[in-house]
Amino acid sequence: MAQTQAFETDFWKDANLRKVWDDIVPGEPRKTIPYTLTKEAIELYCKSVGETHPIYFDEAYAKTTRYGGLIAPPSIHILLMFSCTPADDWMRSPGTVNAGQSWSYNIPARPNDVITLQARALDKFIKRERLFVVHDNVFFNQKGDVICSGRGWTIRPI
Amino acid sequence: MTTTFEKLRAGDSIDGPTFAVSRESIRLFCDASLDYNPLHLDDEYMKGSFGKTNFGGIIMHGMNNFGLISRMITDWAYPAGAIHRRLETRWVKPVRPGDTIQPFGIIKAKQATEKSRWVLIDVVVKNQTGEKIATGEALVEFPRDLFCQ
Repeated sequence: MAQTQAFETDFWKDANLRKVWDDIVPGEPRKTIPYTLTKEAIELYCKSVGETHPIYFDEAYAKTTRYGGLIAPPSIHILLMFSCTPADDWMRSPGTVNAGQSWSYNIPARPNDVITLQARALDKFIKRERLFVVHDNVFFNQKGDVICSGRGWTIRPI
Repeated sequence: MTTTFEKLRAGDSIDGPTFAVSRESIRLFCDASLDYNPLHLDDEYMKGSFGKTNFGGIIMHGMNNFGLISRMITDWAYPAGAIHRRLETRWVKPVRPGDTIQPFGIIKAKQATEKSRWVLIDVVVKNQTGEKIATGEALVEFPRDLFCQ
């Protein structure tokens, strides 16, 4: 079962426990934790980007759609990336700069899904004196179905 | 008028929603995404430089752009019974409190495969002065069993 724990919002706390660019091993799995996606978390995410489509809010409407019920917006993986990783994950290192991402969507996440993540660094390189890491991620629901998969390019803090 | 795969043409455009960026909108995105990187919160920290980068003040999450582009794509696709299948983005310029941003899409190509039909869309996000702040490409599926919403 997914554990609900208070989320540490101070990313400086225990920052020294996180891997720096030198420590990151491409191919090595990242630690992840299951997360139960709530309707409230979906609604808060929707509010933050101005999503108003009834398929995210109106159960009666959502039942009439191809999805047969409420879903989360595809980009909910933005939340899942942090909710499915522990506080010592290097994605939280202060100064991590996001350079770009690409995501493919299979099926939507839904309220009360218990979501798991398989993730790793896929590559690391130096370009114009900047330290890059490519991360590779797949989110699954409780049935083992792929929700979405994606890659991101981050510049690591020095 | 409902968009259909047959009627779409390369060059057709999609106007996304405008989004006013403020310290409050950035803080809300922190709470909604659980991304509390001090890049988005800490004025003192952002006065300095780290790595090869100096932004001179807090910046909006790049993924806020991503969420806004994705909102544009789904709001366009759902009424046509289409499905947002992919989005790739690159951040070009930082976005700061006080900026107003807006995503746009331009249909680039259509393609039918053995089992479905696909539309490629070039996307760009611009700020209030028309500067490009993000670019990318989206892929939308128009299934043959259309289920319009």
